[in-house]
Order: sequence, then C-alpha cells, then structure tokens
Amino acid sequence: MTTSPTEQHAADPDERRSGTSTVRYVAGKVGGALVSLVFVVALGFFLFRMIPGDPLVTMTRERPTGPEQLAHLRERLGLDQPVWQQFLDYVGGLVQGDFGTSYMHRRPVAEMIAERVAPTLLLVGTATVLAVLLGLWLGVRAAWRRGGMFDRTQTGIALALWSMPQFWLGLLLLIATQGVFPSRGMTSVDPPDGFALQALDVGWHLTLPCLTLLLVIYAQYMLVMRSSLLEEMGADYLRTARAKGLRDDLVRRRHAVPNALLPTMTLIFLQFGMVVSGTVTVEAVFSWPGLGLLTYESLRGPDLPVLQGVFVILAGSVIVMNLVADLLYRVVDPRVRAS
Amino acid sequence: MTPLLELQDLGVTYRTAGGEVEAVRGVDLALEPGETVGIAGESGSGKSTVVASVLRLLPKSAKVTGRVLLDGEDVGAMRWGRLRAARWSEASVVFQGAMHALNPVRRVGKQIAEPLRLHTGASAAEAEARVHELLAQVDLSAAKAKAYPHELSGGQKQRVMIAMALACAPQLVIADEPTTALDVIVQAQVLDLLGRLVEERGIGLVFITHDLSVLAATCSRIAVMYQGLIVETGNAKEVITAPRHEHTKALAAAFPEVGDPVSRYAPATAEPLPEEGERDPQSPVLLSARELRVHFRDRAGSAVAAVGGVDLDVRRDEIVALVGQSGSGKTTLARTLLGLQKPTAGGVYYDGGPVPTSASGLRDYRRRVQLVLQDPNSALNPRHTVYESVAEGPRIHGLDADEPGTVVAALEAAELRPAEQYLTRLPHELSGGQRQRVVIAGALALNPSVLVADEPVASLDASVRGEILGLLLRLRRQLGLAGLVITHDLGLAWNIADRVAVMYRGELVEVGPVEQVLLEPRHDYTRALLAAMPSPEPDDVWPAG
Repeated sequence: MTTSPTEQHAADPDERRSGTSTVRYVAGKVGGALVSLVFVVALGFFLFRMIPGDPLVTMTRERPTGPEQLAHLRERLGLDQPVWQQFLDYVGGLVQGDFGTSYMHRRPVAEMIAERVAPTLLLVGTATVLAVLLGLWLGVRAAWRRGGMFDRTQTGIALALWSMPQFWLGLLLLIATQGVFPSRGMTSVDPPDGFALQALDVGWHLTLPCLTLLLVIYAQYMLVMRSSLLEEMGADYLRTARAKGLRDDLVRRRHAVPNALLPTMTLIFLQFGMVVSGTVTVEAVFSWPGLGLLTYESLRGPDLPVLQGVFVILAGSVIVMNLVADLLYRVVDPRVRAS
Repeated sequence: MTPLLELQDLGVTYRTAGGEVEAVRGVDLALEPGETVGIAGESGSGKSTVVASVLRLLPKSAKVTGRVLLDGEDVGAMRWGRLRAARWSEASVVFQGAMHALNPVRRVGKQIAEPLRLHTGASAAEAEARVHELLAQVDLSAAKAKAYPHELSGGQKQRVMIAMALACAPQLVIADEPTTALDVIVQAQVLDLLGRLVEERGIGLVFITHDLSVLAATCSRIAVMYQGLIVETGNAKEVITAPRHEHTKALAAAFPEVGDPVSRYAPATAEPLPEEGERDPQSPVLLSARELRVHFRDRAGSAVAAVGGVDLDVRRDEIVALVGQSGSGKTTLARTLLGLQKPTAGGVYYDGGPVPTSASGLRDYRRRVQLVLQDPNSALNPRHTVYESVAEGPRIHGLDADEPGTVVAALEAAELRPAEQYLTRLPHELSGGQRQRVVIAGALALNPSVLVADEPVASLDASVRGEILGLLLRLRRQLGLAGLVITHDLGLAWNIADRVAVMYRGELVEVGPVEQVLLEPRHDYTRALLAAMPSPEPDDVWPAG
C-alpha cells in the first residue's frame, strides 16, 4: 500500500472538532463566572432582608429614642425606601466599589472588609496548603495498598475528624494543649519589635486555629485522591509501565498520580472558596480577626451592609476559585486543551 | 539452540469470589529466534493471560503452575530486580488497545524514551535521538514525539506502541491484537512493519489475534486457544485451510474470503437462514441522499468537506454496505442521514419527501430510521435491565400500547429466546453478542423501516460476528427491513450486503452490486482496499527463519 496514513489522518474530517480557541474558552468561562456573581449579589441582598430582627432596635437599645428620631434614622439609612429601591441603590454602589456603611460602626463596609481579608487568607491559606499536602500523601498511600492496615486506619481517622464540629475540636485542642498556645487573637497584646519576632508571634497565635481547620478539612482531599487513584489502578497504561520494568514507586509517581491528580485539582480550588466561608466557627472560637469573626459579630445587629458585603466577597471567592480551577485544568490536562 | 520463549505446561488459575477459575491449562509452546507464532482465540480464551504470564504481569489473585522460560531462564524463579531488568529489555509487549495502554497525560516521546533511560542508562539526548530513530522505523515523523496520545489517530497510536516495544531492541516481542480496531489499510501497514522487523532483525514474534486471516498472512505456525486450552496447533496454512477442531472451523468461517461463493449471503451462523423470497428489484427507495454536502471548519478556520456531494439510495428490502477507512467521512454521512448533523447543502429524503426539520417531525423520522452503534457496552446503560433498555424507545415516542408485548416481540425478533428469560437481566450479565442483540431489539421495538448500523460487529468476538450478521440478514428477508451498514470490513459486505458504496475522502467513488464492486473493482481506491485485506496466499507468509 502506498497511501500515507499520516497525511490522511491529518485531514480527518470524522475526528474533527470545532476548534474553540483559548480566547473564546476563557471568555466563556469568565462570562459564566460574572453571571453567577450577579445572582449572588441579588440573592445576598434579599436573603439578609429575611433575617428576623430590626437593626434599628439593636442600634437604639442603650438609648431611649423617640419616634421622630427613629424615623430620622430610618431615613438616613435608606430603610424608608421600598425594597426594590434599596436594591437598586445597593447595586449602584457595588458597581463603584461602595459596599455601603456599617449600621453599627458608621464606617465604610469596604474598609472593614479590607482589613479582615489578610488574616483570613493567612489562616485559610496555611490550613489548605497543609491539608492538601497531607491529604494527597495519605490518599495516595491508602489507595496504593487498598484495604490494608494503613488504608483502613487512616480512612477511619480522617472520616472521624471530618465529622467533628469545628468549635468542639477547637475547644478540645485548647484544653489538650493546656495554654501552651494562645487562645485568642492574632497578635500578643504587646507585640514584640522586629519583623521576625512579629512573624513568630503571629505563627504562635496561628497554630491552634490552623490545626483545627487542617484536621477538619484534610479528609476530603485524602478521600478524593484515594478514590481517584483507585479508579486509575486498573488502567492499562499502568500495566504498560510495569511491563517496561519500572519500580513500583515510579509506576505510581510518574504514571498513576499525575492522572489521578486531575480530578482532585478541581476539588482543591473549589474547596478553597468553601473553606474561606467555613471559617466563621474557627475564627469565632479563637477570636481570629478575619472575615468569619466579622460575620459573627455583624449577625448580632443584624448589620445588614456588612453581612451583605462579606456574603458577596465569600461567594465571589468561591466563584473565582472555580474559574481558576477551570482555567488551570485546561493547562494541566492535554486532552481538555484539544477539545 | 535454546528457544527464545518456551511455555511448559503453563496453567493459570484466578481466585475469584465465585471460586477458582482456570484461565489457562496445560499450554506448551516454543518460539525460535526469527520465528512468528500466532495464537488465535477469542475474548476469554486465555490468550491475554498467557501474554501477562510471560513478563509475570498477572494480578496477585492468579496462581501459576508450569514454567515460562525466557531464553532458557525461568521467569517464575527470577528475583524482583532480575525480573525488572528482563522486562522490556529481553521481551516487550505491544499491548491490545493502544488507546488505553498509553498514558494519556504524557507525551509519547517521553513514554518511548522511558524504558531506554531505565534499561540502557541512555542520557536524555541519546534517548531523544533514539526515539526519533524508532519513530522513523514505524513511519512516524520525529515531531510526533511531542504529541499526546489523544492527538494521534488509532493507527498512529498503535505504531507508537510498536516503537515503544522496540525501544530496548528486545529479542522477543509479543503483539496482543496489534491490529484490532484498525482499518484494513492501516492494518496492512502495521502487519507489513512487524513482518519487516522479524525478517531484518531476527526477533521472535508472538502474534495474538482472533482474526485468522491476519495470522495466515503473518505466521509460520498457529496455535488455536479455546477455553484456556490449545486445541489445535500446526503449520499456519494447514490450520486455516484444513481446520480440525470445531472452534478453529468457526474462527475460519467468521472471516470470509471475498469472492468465495460459499460465504455469499451466508454469514457463519448456527441458525438457518430463511429462503430468499420474491424480490422486487425496483422496490421503493426508502432513504436517499441527494448532492449531500457537509462541511466542517478546521482549526485554521477553512472549510473541509467531510461529505462532498453524495448521492445514495437505500431501498426497501435491501442492505447497503458503506465502506471506507476511518476518516473517509462515512460516519458523518450516517449522522447526516439520521438528522443528527445538519447538511451544508443538498438534502436527505425519506419515503419520497424531504426529512422534516421540526423537532416533532425529526422525532417521528428517527423512529422510522433507527441507529445501531458499534459498541454495545457503551450503548447500553449499565444500570438498566434489558426490559428498560428496550422499552425506553417506545416510551420516548409515546407508543404506550402494550409495552410488555412490544418488548417481548422485539427481543424475539432479535433472537433472544425465550425473551422472558432476559427481561430482568443487566448488561453485565450478558455476553457481547447478547448485548448487541439487546441494542438491535431496542431499535426493532420502534418498528423502524431502516436500520443504520455503524460497525455492528467490529467490537464483537469472531464467533458472535456471524450470528449478528445472520440476524441482520434474517431481519431483511423476513421483515423487508432496509439496512445501511457502515463498515471497514469488506468481508461483512460480502456476507450480507446487496450493494456496496465505497467512500473515499468524502465522496462515493464506486457504488454498485456487491459482486460487481468487489470482484471487478473499477476505482483505484476500491482496489487498494481489497489488496490490503490479509490473504493466506503462500507467498505472503513470512520466511520462518
């Protein structure tokens, strides 16, 4: 035969897919994320209007207030307007980066959120990185020797920790460490001089809240990595790798894990956003000055502008992380890149 | 001279939940350097277990008895380090299904280089040069080293697999179904390549396949495996022309020789075929394409004609075979005929009128023209019982009159008898042939007038193949059902089709009665397809030493 298959397959119309360019792919994903964000803003606004409790009552609890003053306050906060008008004003402000003004503190919400973002990122970031490393390592080991002693005990421990309430585990750790680590705040009342010492001080304060979060969340990374690797275990290309004479750990490291990591990666990013929203309890227990604590404090009002602002930021971070996962997946998996 | 590979009374038993299963029993086989031995058998015959036992790749649940001698050395007695060193450098495997045997997220060049770096201690640069050399040997350009498996066609992946097997210049290569799922022209190239390697390098080749005609064209000796036993062994030509064992006969009959009058309108089926009734040569045209064009845009944005001006008629009571190699546009044509793909120009006509474009009109049309897919394993929902799978079509189309009756009748028509026995079964409890019958029953339940079948037997065992083809032929003769069978298998056309349409690069280059097209081909491409079919002529057999 003289027909060259190389050329024939190059012009293979049956296997041709409509080529979506990278730009169109990215634009599509970003557009989808923006639509989700709009929904979140609307949902956030109306959801918090349903919380029982009148913010005016809380604000005036300490002082006797006449009906005229109340009406005046209502007018100043814009609460006399119909709900749809309040919503339009709110959205208009958001577009300009204005999250409104806190009822309780009379400060711009954007400013309050800004100073709380860094502590939360520090806590969640550290806990997530450690949890991912620990979870992936345990997951790979457990799957490779499925049903073995390691697998059974580690899966059991991870599930037990995953099912524990964060505040309870946090309190347990507090009791167990007997005051070796500080129980509240991010810095000492009287912080030491010098950057290195300050960093050490923060790290010392970080230990317990970070450990609590880490212990609760690592299970999901471990279990997903485990099941994802188990799915690859029977794959034909692993048999090929073994037939080539590779050592068992090379088969695992070079061939099995890279494939099993793909579905796990999406979860890591998706969960990062979720973990940020889930810090309310840990931050409340350890008085960690982050977004979670801010939420906790504002719920007492309810300080609607703050709650809405935090809600938008937290939900937005989930959406953004999901977007990052989608884009990164395209970089890592050659098959997604092609289609 | 020590044989390269010697199997002595090899037996493999798997421990399963349901007890012990003897996969291989008492297999004796020897292979000299420069020799090609074929092992023929279907899925479940134990041939893949034999492959795995040579490099000790069996799962832990397998118990091995007897001995495997690799160049005189007992594989079972090797220490782990010695075994790893022997793997791939002394014997390598071209695994079945290159699609899955290659790591999807590693570039193929890296995968070919891997055993080189491991066994020969080659530097990265040396390995790269050698990879390019190996790719050239299998007729692939050096640039393909940078490709990921999914970027290559089936034939290219298969050749990457072969290049990988040759990486460490082993003395023994085991090729497990290296050409299954490839079309005839690519198959001919792969066979040619393997033949050259045996001839030029004096390696020993164990060739495993269910297709006897391929073995006939490549091997000096053949061993036929059935249910874990070697039931027949001998000179390749003798085994094929004068098979002694029943199973060998069945395998030999499954792949007819085009032109052999015995197999014309006679697929290898155990059930008798009904007599051919009166046939009206001018029976009405049911499905037709007129000047049909389908264009796609490629990545650069320019239009590519997948289907470039096709005229085709399928009449009542007629089976038309649409043949061509992969990439010829035959699947696109079929999709367009079914209304799954919009034509760029031209039209599809059913029963005299154009195919409707409205949603309800299309739905009604698709009830009349049913599709049977290649792989029954993925066509059936693994969690649906046979009853649900077959009843789904009538439910979607709102044909609620006597559903159980319809399902039973469809199963009976697809020759799953007694139908009641199959109703509650799940796909994994059925054999490959039975699954394909369930798919066909699902189509029949809608009482269609045309059946479009895309490679209906390509993923089935040889012995089942004849049964399914027999079923299609019986349906045509008994119900007058029209069929359009898409295939790369000319033997299939010879077995059951009335007319053949040969497709090449989006156009029908030759259409006519089977005898005329296949025996007196006029177009070069048809001749090329016929020439690429493996034939057991003596001068095609490779020298045995």
